Amino acid sequence: MEWNISSLKDLEHYFWRCTACGTCRSAYDFGPPPFTRPICPAGTEFGFEGYYSSKGKAAFARGISDGSLTFDDPEFLEAVYKCTVCGGCQNQCQVDYKPHIPEVIEAMRREAVKSGAGPMPAQKNLVQSMKNYNNPYQGPRRVRMDWTRPFKKAKTPIKDINTEPAEVLFYVGCTGAFNKIAQAVPQATARIFQKLGVAFGILGESEVCCGSTAMRVGDAEEFKRVATNNLETFKTLHAEKGVKTIVTSCAGCFRAIKKDYILSSEYNQMMDGIEVLHTVQYLHRLLKEGKLKFEKELPWKVTYHDPCHTGRHLNKFRVDNDGSELWEGAYVSVDESECLYDLPREIIKAIPGVSFVEMDRIRGNSYCCGGGGGVMTGFTDWAGKNAGLRIQEGMETGAEKMVSICPFCYFNLTEGAKRISSNITLHDLTELIDLALPD
Amino acid sequence: MTEIPKESKVDPRITKKLREIMGEKNATAAKHIRYAYSYDMSFVKPKLPDYVVMAETVEQIQELMRFANLEKIPVIPYTAGTNIGGLCIPERGGILLDLKKMNKIIKIDPESHYAVIEPGVSHGQLAEALYAHKLRFGWPVGPPSASVSSCAINHGIGGLNARYGLNSQEITSMEVVLPTGELVRVGSCAIVEDAWHSTLPLPKLDGLFKGWLGGTGIVTKLGIGVHPIPPFLKVFTVSCDNVEDMYSYMLNLSNYEICDDLTAVSWWLAQVPIPYPYREKPDEAPEWFSFANTNSFTQKEKEAREEIWEMVVDEEKKKGTSLKVTQYPEEALRARTQLPSQIVGSTKNYCKMAGAGISWPGTFTPANKWAPVYTEWKKLLIGHNLSPSVRMSMYRGVHYGMLRAMIPFNKQSADETENARRAIVECLKIDLDHGGIPYKPPVDFGQEINKRAHPGYLMLLRRVKQMLDPNDIMNPGKLAL
Ligand SMILES: Cc1cc2nc3c(=O)[nH]c(=O)nc-3n(C[C@H](O)[C@H](O)[C@H](O)COP(=O)(O)OP(=O)(O)OC[C@H]3O[C@@H](n4cnc5c(N)ncnc54)[C@H](O)[C@@H]3O)c2cc1C
Ligand code: SF4
Ligand code: SF4
Repeated sequence: MEWNISSLKDLEHYFWRCTACGTCRSAYDFGPPPFTRPICPAGTEFGFEGYYSSKGKAAFARGISDGSLTFDDPEFLEAVYKCTVCGGCQNQCQVDYKPHIPEVIEAMRREAVKSGAGPMPAQKNLVQSMKNYNNPYQGPRRVRMDWTRPFKKAKTPIKDINTEPAEVLFYVGCTGAFNKIAQAVPQATARIFQKLGVAFGILGESEVCCGSTAMRVGDAEEFKRVATNNLETFKTLHAEKGVKTIVTSCAGCFRAIKKDYILSSEYNQMMDGIEVLHTVQYLHRLLKEGKLKFEKELPWKVTYHDPCHTGRHLNKFRVDNDGSELWEGAYVSVDESECLYDLPREIIKAIPGVSFVEMDRIRGNSYCCGGGGGVMTGFTDWAGKNAGLRIQEGMETGAEKMVSICPFCYFNLTEGAKRISSNITLHDLTELIDLALPD
Repeated sequence: MTEIPKESKVDPRITKKLREIMGEKNATAAKHIRYAYSYDMSFVKPKLPDYVVMAETVEQIQELMRFANLEKIPVIPYTAGTNIGGLCIPERGGILLDLKKMNKIIKIDPESHYAVIEPGVSHGQLAEALYAHKLRFGWPVGPPSASVSSCAINHGIGGLNARYGLNSQEITSMEVVLPTGELVRVGSCAIVEDAWHSTLPLPKLDGLFKGWLGGTGIVTKLGIGVHPIPPFLKVFTVSCDNVEDMYSYMLNLSNYEICDDLTAVSWWLAQVPIPYPYREKPDEAPEWFSFANTNSFTQKEKEAREEIWEMVVDEEKKKGTSLKVTQYPEEALRARTQLPSQIVGSTKNYCKMAGAGISWPGTFTPANKWAPVYTEWKKLLIGHNLSPSVRMSMYRGVHYGMLRAMIPFNKQSADETENARRAIVECLKIDLDHGGIPYKPPVDFGQEINKRAHPGYLMLLRRVKQMLDPNDIMNPGKLAL
């Protein structure tokens, strides 16, 4: 299988389109009323240009490509990894660099890995664990099933798709499976599916990491290994077990399958006849069809945090590749229609009793929780501190619950809430749905 | 590829001391950070600072300046580095002082109509805060994240220039750390601690710190006049086939002083983005467009402005000029009337086609010289395969104003950058010889100004600089003295 993953050299033209205007430093909207907020977690924490936004990343990329900056400088190596690859900066930029910003950041990391210096030590462990255990959490394969214990106990076991065919594959993801706090997410998802009578199964112990983490920290080889494996599995499941839909509650897995797997030359062929959905999309369809009916009231004041991976990372950029429309490489437009902004909000608002309030930074200008891009592993303290800032913003709305649709955000924001001793509690949207459905 | 900045010597003793003064996390000599501050979008060659520090308090800045003075190390103030003139690129290395963390809006006095801000306050940030009081300021057509005070102290031009004057004319008081570390104040706040309403009637010492490109001190607080937002916006848009007709219209309309901003742009500047390299204008398209922003408090006031404008249009038509009432290209109009703007801020309308580079001969020029200068610029720029993307704006109550050619170029290529630099400096010389003066001048421009300057002016300039900055450590070299 061939993979079309860009090198930094391939992207040189694009990071040379950055004018260093610094517009990417803050989220801005004319309004009226005008709106300005910090958008870059790295800039907010470290302050110096370079750390700040896509302007800084273009500087680093230029420095690498002209030989001024090298990875034998450990401080520089760290600086390249001190970025959550959240795309907040990308949302502000309007020039031809825009569509390629996260790609440039990750291409620098691939250079770092190639040089033998990257990724950061804790992230190296994570990639090693992927190699050893097919998951980044150093968990033996059988631990992957721990989250299903309550189901066994309740005598409502979850189907193993390897042995029992089903139309829906619930792709759990490593964070939901191995992270004790985030286990609430697959549990709620599976309970909802059972309540609704969805014919679904899981891969169980044989599930392999989606590869998102490896890709985010620049280990393209490890990503390719697991992604190739998964594409082959998906194809087989479709052919042999009747799988038509892959559903995941993990924003990271969803982003990887939707946006990273398409870099494979055989994506269309491998995924022929298979639809990939985030759980929220799947459930929203059922809501519209009248099959998802809430009965219980949840008398809560709730705010919603847009994860980067289900939000602006799903932007579709139109680029004039052959120069027929504007000029070669011109960024033409952005299509937000695949970003999951409205669906979770519509579901939340449909739950009886919930009063919904918005934070200041939402949708394309959502402020990253601080956990992405390998930061939660590489710079745990900073990730938690940044999550505290987001929790603070949630508190300012008066909300008592912050809801999201990503186990990473869930875990990291929970840490953030603890850190600033906030009373806000974190919930995955699936938990709310589960609670509002009849038993 | 453009030039790589040359490495400089870093002294660990200095880094250590800077960390002591500014705090461990606020001072660095790391190469990648210095690299990120070594260039901007202009044609000015990249140069590395030796150290970068971030200030959080006035006291830190004072201590930093005392230390830098003792060691005779240059200090370059920086807020966002978007000045388009290489003004934050260190000519002689030294300490880059990043002030963006000092971003408090200290006060908005909605009754007396002034605000007091720190240097890191951005246009976007202040626009939001003022809007809550239905107040506004003259926002430049620049990045929303750039600094309000850096624009004002360098004679920046905002969208209210035809109504209230340049942004530097809006300055009402200042607090400044001198290059030698003393804290000074000018304007009413010098006499009454929290009165920031006026630089008059005291001696206008604010001039010691305005237009000096950060060469005489570090502004740590700035008082600026702010104004109510009238609810009725009307933008008058016309086009002309030639610059002479456009000049005639602007001269006529400006006599009535009904506009917040009276600007005309050539066809090339009205495109989003500016064509790069030069592209011929379609024959049927007019060469000039003008937008005149007016804001009125009542419907009747708006109608009165309309009446005046219609009269001017009639008069111009009777003169037989090519003036037509037309639509201004939609996105370009939004970019210039909905300020601060992300469209212009992120340089979409300027650089998107060229890539990374932008510089300008940006000048204050007598209006009766606009047409002859434009005609020469056009020939020269086209000769360099660059678009003559020129703007003319009439300032408050006078017949002079901004004449500027916004020149994007491909900064990845050293040749294309040099081509743009040459053309721009040549344009500047033409303008200087017609009585224009460049604003926020890069060093290349400074040299051309000084060549033509009265010897007494240069002597006075040197003497003031020497008095305030005896060791020539404040952003040295920028005035090309
Ligand atoms: C696309 C584009 C359009 C623009 N349009 C306009 C426009 O319409 N009008 C306009 O006026 N400008 C315009 N600009 C220029 C610039 O964006 C603004 O003037 C801006 O507000 C400057 O702020 P900054 O933070 O970038 O200043 P910087 O570039 O960081 O600093 C400018 C100068 O001030 C000095 N300085 C900074 N802080 C201090 C301080 N506290 N004390 C003393 N000296 C200091 C610096 O050393 C430097 O010499 C434009 C820029 C761009 C990129
Ligand atoms: S990334 Fe885009 S918005 Fe940021 S500085 Fe570069 S051109 Fe400007
Ligand atoms: S991706 Fe996010 S953290 Fe990284 S530079 Fe952009 S805004 Fe900052």
